[in-house]
Amino acid sequence: MTNENIRLTQTVKGAGCAAKLAPGELARALCGLDLPVDQNLLVGLEQADDAGVYRVSDDIALVQTIDFFPPMVDDPYSFGQIAAANALSDVYAMGGTPKTAMNIVAFPSKTMDISVLRTIIDGGLSKMREAGVVLVGGHTVEDSELKYGLSVTGYIHPNRILTKKNLQTGDCLIITKPLGTGIVSTAIKAGMADQSLIDKVTLAMATLNREAALVMETFSVHACTDITGFGFLGHLAEMVVDSGHGVRIMSELVPMYSEALEWADMGLIPAGTYNNRSFRGSFVDFDSKVPQRVQDLLFDPQTSGGLLIAVPANEAVKLVDALKAKGIEVAAIVGEVVAEPVDRIVVE
Amino acid sequence: MINDLDCRGMNCPEPVLHVRNVIVKESPSVLSVLVDNEAACQNVIRFFEHQNFQVTTEKIGSEFRIIGTRADIVDTPKVSSTATAVKEPRVGIKKVMVMVTSDCMGHGDDGLGDMLMFNFLKTLKEMRPELWRLVFVNKGVSFTAEGSEAVPVLQELAAEGVQIFACGACLAYFHILDKIQVGEITNMLDIITGMKLADSVITI
Repeated sequence: MTNENIRLTQTVKGAGCAAKLAPGELARALCGLDLPVDQNLLVGLEQADDAGVYRVSDDIALVQTIDFFPPMVDDPYSFGQIAAANALSDVYAMGGTPKTAMNIVAFPSKTMDISVLRTIIDGGLSKMREAGVVLVGGHTVEDSELKYGLSVTGYIHPNRILTKKNLQTGDCLIITKPLGTGIVSTAIKAGMADQSLIDKVTLAMATLNREAALVMETFSVHACTDITGFGFLGHLAEMVVDSGHGVRIMSELVPMYSEALEWADMGLIPAGTYNNRSFRGSFVDFDSKVPQRVQDLLFDPQTSGGLLIAVPANEAVKLVDALKAKGIEVAAIVGEVVAEPVDRIVVE
Repeated sequence: MINDLDCRGMNCPEPVLHVRNVIVKESPSVLSVLVDNEAACQNVIRFFEHQNFQVTTEKIGSEFRIIGTRADIVDTPKVSSTATAVKEPRVGIKKVMVMVTSDCMGHGDDGLGDMLMFNFLKTLKEMRPELWRLVFVNKGVSFTAEGSEAVPVLQELAAEGVQIFACGACLAYFHILDKIQVGEITNMLDIITGMKLADSVITI
């Protein structure tokens, strides 16, 4: 078996972040466990944020995260790039700077040539270089299905941590990548996506959230997360729950791959979309005018999705312009934080 | 008795691909599909509906049987057809946003201007289906409020799916915020994002 003709997505059951354990299941596994307490643990498991943050000194805290998943594209080099960009993203979403990384690999060496692994890691390394991150080690196990990702450590100033909490009434919500990668991955697996779309979506998934994070640093951002496996509304729900505020989303403003909308109609929808909806759907009120396929895209699990940023309204347009000036053309205001209904998301 | 297409043990997108293959190759009038998970069930339902099949679903323990019947051989009309027509997004149709910034059209004689503006609103339906959104600002908001003869005209447009918005600050300025009869109250952010979304904006 060679690199040239292997279709990675045909070797696994789940695709990308669509393979994530259903959110309710994880909560059930963790519920009631005795978690260690440490006053230097600034962001831990209980907050369920993008990454953990541990204070080392008054000026420096460590940001730590790990992400790995089965392939969502067929090309090994692209898969490596996407998995690395996805893992690094959690550090950017906290406002941190990634510094070191370790590979985490599950590889079916009995059925796949080892050169495939080399190409995947080469792809990952290209993104680490772009991020200014050094690879310090890793761990590889034999498994029936391929999986790859990174454990990433970064720095952050303890007073400048950007969490999911801290929405304020009047904030605008901005996203930086189009939605629909879960459905597109399913269509790729089904052999229904044409190469030009695969190239476009692969490039978007392999794009670091680094530029977006650097731009964001110069604005008064109140809260931030990255959009991954729980989908846009799933991650937004994490921001809204217990925030004391509500959110209004104007679905027509949310950038989406138009092909994904067509495939949603055809039922090429990953199970993760349904899981996300059943876990977080109770927080969301859809206006009857919002088509079913748009609702699906809003819950679609994203692989290496963009940032979701809450910023005061008077800075929102400037932030979007600054993002566009850095080549993040798709950046858009998609909604606003409102006083009521408290802890709910209204989608119009 | 119809034979089931057995898609148990399959993950998305396989059940949909199997159903598609059978429909393409055999063009059956009726097709019964067995799946063993909720996501596959929902996806197969979507695919059938996308192919103009009428669908019934039966839950058998942890499994689902989905029966699709070609809509053109079903006697009763598809119940949801009107509902989906309303929901259908505006694919390929240009979006024209019309801003009404006054209660009077043009300058010269205000009485004539009032009459022209009312006539304009009455005739606006001829712009359908491109007419996407109608936004009233400044004195224009009076058309959406109690006492305006334009209210039934606008209600008719709204019923046809035209989005009608009235500037909240303007309604408040003229003390008619509680008198609005048609459309939704909007703000400057909505107006600006509407301008970005629209293919063209016409200001009167």
